[in-house]
Amino acid sequence: MLQLFIAYQPLIDLFLLHSGLALAQYLVLRAGVFSVANAGLTAIGAYLAAGLTLKAGWPPALTMVLGAVAGMLVSMLLSLPLARLRGVYQAIATLAFVQVVLSLNVYSESLTGGAMGMNGIPKVVSTWTLLIALAGTLYIVWAINQTRLGRAFDAIRQDETVAASLGTSVRYYQTVAFALSGGIAGFYGGLEAFHSYSIEPSRFGFEFVVAILSYVVLGGRRSIWGPVVGTAVLLALPELARPLAEYRTLVYGLIMVLVMGYLPRGVYDTFVEYLYRRRIARMDRAAMAQSQGDAP
Amino acid sequence: MIIQQLLNGLIVGGVYALFAIGFTLVFGIHQVLNLAHGAVFMTGAFIALYSVLGGWPLWAGFLLAMLGSGLLSVLIEFGAFRKLRKSGPLELEFGAIITSIGAGLAIMAVAQKISNTQIMRFPFETMPVVIFEFFGLRVSALQLIMAACAAILVVGITAYLYRTAFGRQVRAVAGNERAATLVGVNPNFVYFQTFFMSGALAGAAGVLVGLAFNSIHFVMGEPYLLRGFVVVILGGLGSIPGALLAGLLLGMMQTLTVAFLPSGLTDTIIFSLLFLILLFRPHGLLGKPEAGAMRGR
Repeated sequence: MLQLFIAYQPLIDLFLLHSGLALAQYLVLRAGVFSVANAGLTAIGAYLAAGLTLKAGWPPALTMVLGAVAGMLVSMLLSLPLARLRGVYQAIATLAFVQVVLSLNVYSESLTGGAMGMNGIPKVVSTWTLLIALAGTLYIVWAINQTRLGRAFDAIRQDETVAASLGTSVRYYQTVAFALSGGIAGFYGGLEAFHSYSIEPSRFGFEFVVAILSYVVLGGRRSIWGPVVGTAVLLALPELARPLAEYRTLVYGLIMVLVMGYLPRGVYDTFVEYLYRRRIARMDRAAMAQSQGDAP
Repeated sequence: MIIQQLLNGLIVGGVYALFAIGFTLVFGIHQVLNLAHGAVFMTGAFIALYSVLGGWPLWAGFLLAMLGSGLLSVLIEFGAFRKLRKSGPLELEFGAIITSIGAGLAIMAVAQKISNTQIMRFPFETMPVVIFEFFGLRVSALQLIMAACAAILVVGITAYLYRTAFGRQVRAVAGNERAATLVGVNPNFVYFQTFFMSGALAGAAGVLVGLAFNSIHFVMGEPYLLRGFVVVILGGLGSIPGALLAGLLLGMMQTLTVAFLPSGLTDTIIFSLLFLILLFRPHGLLGKPEAGAMRGR
């Protein structure tokens, strides 16, 4: 068991980190905001945390929290203009934001180390830290779903006009969702920086956006387990296809096309729906049997 | 000096326009962002390169590249979008992004395998370097050919869409697919046409870019995909004349910023511009306000 754990530790760490990032992405999508800004916010969190620890010598725990606060503040600022846009337009605007953050990170070499990034970051984040962080994130997201806030998010996502006509302030709740998501993204930026020794701007670019978004959409956008399942599927399947290691990207791409084509609501949500349908069918049969038993 | 830069920018912009028109065409008609468009562009360059290496003349390689990438684009529509379209608009909006990214990744993986992850070049004599001078401006033969190809293809597509019966069918499906079906238009044939045209244009742009910068590799499409976003938004998502205008503007702006500003800032400026356009004029220069930026889902 321990052997297995050690052999797969990098993969497990990656899964824990990316699950958290996927949950942050899930939170905005849930409130009907099609934002992909999280890559930029994660970059801000990572650079702030690593920079303050490396250059000012502040303790990592403090700088990681500051990274989360920075992510939250920037996403609140971003939400002001984004409230004017919808759908694909929000996605493109936030993608532009990600590109601006990336190119500024490359440009301001004295501050960020330019294209080479920052190196020699102390590794203080272990698998256990990641596990605790993910558990905490899951709890926060779960708790949000149990409250008025979660119900408001659902209402807005399903039909914005109806939600607004029922007195739900779309702008307020979307800003809240955006800020929470940005905070989580910023925090995971810090985790990533203190987990991987070095960070560089290109890590938080278009590929990052694509990876995180595909975890959520492929896993399912409704339940909080969707993003986690999506991350597990997309990270594990290429691993299972080891004999095809050479064709890893090809397998990854084909998985995205096939799973999405056949299960457009995502793996987890489709599974839940299947279980639900089966239960209804069984109850129907039971009711039928009973009524037939009563008849004679 | 400035005029020379503007001229260079205009020619680069023509290629941006070729790339972006296919992108905006698919969005305007199917409301789908085809993120595999960059991979189709790269495929065009690959096909032309391998046909030239195989001893074919360049013009044949160019036509073959357009044909091949057009068919590839049709294949993407068939594999990645057709099933999702039946699942409903919300599933299509999110799902199409994921499936097209997946298709793009798969295509790039194949290209990486074929090219052994190497940067490739056209053979030295493929495009003779001839420089003309007009009124003190230097223009190479390649640049003239690029401009001519871009102009012919753009005019051809516009004439096709707005002057022929087929084009009318395409626009009918864009307006209302159900109504178009009721009057006897076969939507699947329309999808076939638009994706073929879109792919063929991207392939042509790929060959021209491959010739101009003489560097062909499997990720060459990605920067163009990101620039493509800027062009289609600036011009108005779904508007073909808009994409043409915006492509030319972006090309000129890019050469000017590279020439007169610190080079690292080009991307910052271009993408900040994209963000600002979305805020203040989300329907772009020539798009219609009802095109969708403010529409609820």
